[in-house]
Amino acid sequence: MTVTTRHLPVDSTAFFEALAERMNADPERYRPLGFCDLDLGVVIHRPSSEDFRALVRFADYGCLGVEAFPEGAEDRASCWLEGDLGTWEEMVADIRANGRATARRTLASLVLLGDRIGLRGDDSMGVDRFFRYAATVQQFIDGAADSVSVPA
Amino acid sequence: MASQTAQDLGVQTPAPEGGTPSMTWNGHTLPAIGPSGAPLDWAWLRGTRSEWGVRAKPSSKGLTMADIAVGTYGAVPDHPPRRTMAPRGADIDADVPDMGYLVNDKSHVWAENVYELYEEAVARQWSATRDIPWGEVAPLPEELERAVCQICTLLSEVEMIATDLPAKWLWRINHDLLEAKMFLATQVMDEARHTEVFRKRALVNGGGLLHSRKGTEELLRTILQARTFAQASALMHLLGEGFVLDLFRQGELIAPTEVEKRIFRLTMQDEARHVAYGTLHLRYAIEHDPDLAEEIHEALDHGEQMLVAFGTQTDTTEALAVLLAGGVDKVEEVGFPMLAQLQAKVLTSYLARCERAGLNRVQRTKLPVEELGIDRDVRVA
Repeated sequence: MTVTTRHLPVDSTAFFEALAERMNADPERYRPLGFCDLDLGVVIHRPSSEDFRALVRFADYGCLGVEAFPEGAEDRASCWLEGDLGTWEEMVADIRANGRATARRTLASLVLLGDRIGLRGDDSMGVDRFFRYAATVQQFIDGAADSVSVPA
Repeated sequence: MASQTAQDLGVQTPAPEGGTPSMTWNGHTLPAIGPSGAPLDWAWLRGTRSEWGVRAKPSSKGLTMADIAVGTYGAVPDHPPRRTMAPRGADIDADVPDMGYLVNDKSHVWAENVYELYEEAVARQWSATRDIPWGEVAPLPEELERAVCQICTLLSEVEMIATDLPAKWLWRINHDLLEAKMFLATQVMDEARHTEVFRKRALVNGGGLLHSRKGTEELLRTILQARTFAQASALMHLLGEGFVLDLFRQGELIAPTEVEKRIFRLTMQDEARHVAYGTLHLRYAIEHDPDLAEEIHEALDHGEQMLVAFGTQTDTTEALAVLLAGGVDKVEEVGFPMLAQLQAKVLTSYLARCERAGLNRVQRTKLPVEELGIDRDVRVA
């Protein structure tokens, strides 16, 4: 019997929950990077429907969970990543193709110019928190290489 | 809170004939004379004026410095009562010598995030020898190798200031403020590693160290010679390291290979920690001593001038532009415009951090904000 899989869409809570599950299943991969205490918002602009919004909560060497991140609740996040769906999908496709984000599709690279995915925050301390934990967040997202598919 | 758990305190029993005097404690007999003939008083066992019965609870990370900040041990005095290395919370002899500390007010060195940052620093240590994929170093076109080496020359030079400066102040800071000292000690190590990693990169790929300029040294001297720790912290953590943090962020675009990318990502995390300390330290200092604000502003007025002089040295901007353009061919078309775009972001980040620290520099700064398209009347965040 052939089992086919489909990738979870990046603009879904299930996608980030799958990443969280992978992180929590393998804390030893994250331990060398040091702990990460960060409430990271994700805002993905869809072309023809309302934005996808989620709050990914990191603590210690794992992910506490993925929660709703309603508009107006920005103060619940240390900072948030905001960009269009196409760019998020490109980034994830690059991760799936190469096993990790490469070249100018890493989060740190994308947010540097900020024209496609911006790093936003109400507080410069919260924004800088992203840079303190950038390696952990990137490794979390790189989990998309093999963790976020489900049976078709 | 004093402890008095011992019983039969100091009750000395006369020596029996042919024996030695003894003391009792909780029903045990203890000698009052040591093997060398020196008297023993068992004072530490008899009870001290420190808090006894403390049982700090580990948190999910392990047993952190925040976890042991319990009871009187967690009370950091605004004005430490003495200038000694005696551990805060211990039962300290009245006649301990004075160490001559110069920074004796909590507000002059403290930050609300100092516990968190210390633990983070310890947890996120890395090795420039082990954690960089040096085996992946590959030959680069000459202009790119020269550009990488020029940037590494500069960074191996400027990073050491952030080792020297905390080290210069550490022994002057009152030991009751030890959590802040411990964080600064991590910075000393972090920055030594940064100097190490950039020096290694310069020497690993057929290049070497290139130009070191007078302007760089003048900027470093300004920082090193700051009169107070608040001024030193403003110049180093907020101004110098803030700019370097943003340069490390640019590593995503300027790094020609995964080797340099990895270097910049790891150094960026360290630098962000140092900036986080400086930002909240200055905020704490100003909140507790508003007069400090003007002193810090004056230091930044001067430091920003030095930074502009430093920035007009073309070695750095040329090398960055070449790296951003991927070579010399598109340096005018791509490199310099992209650099200008990034410089505006660097300046915006710096002004936002100043504001977070309680220092509104937007109206006061002489940095070329208009040239970089920043509106002085718009709040930076």
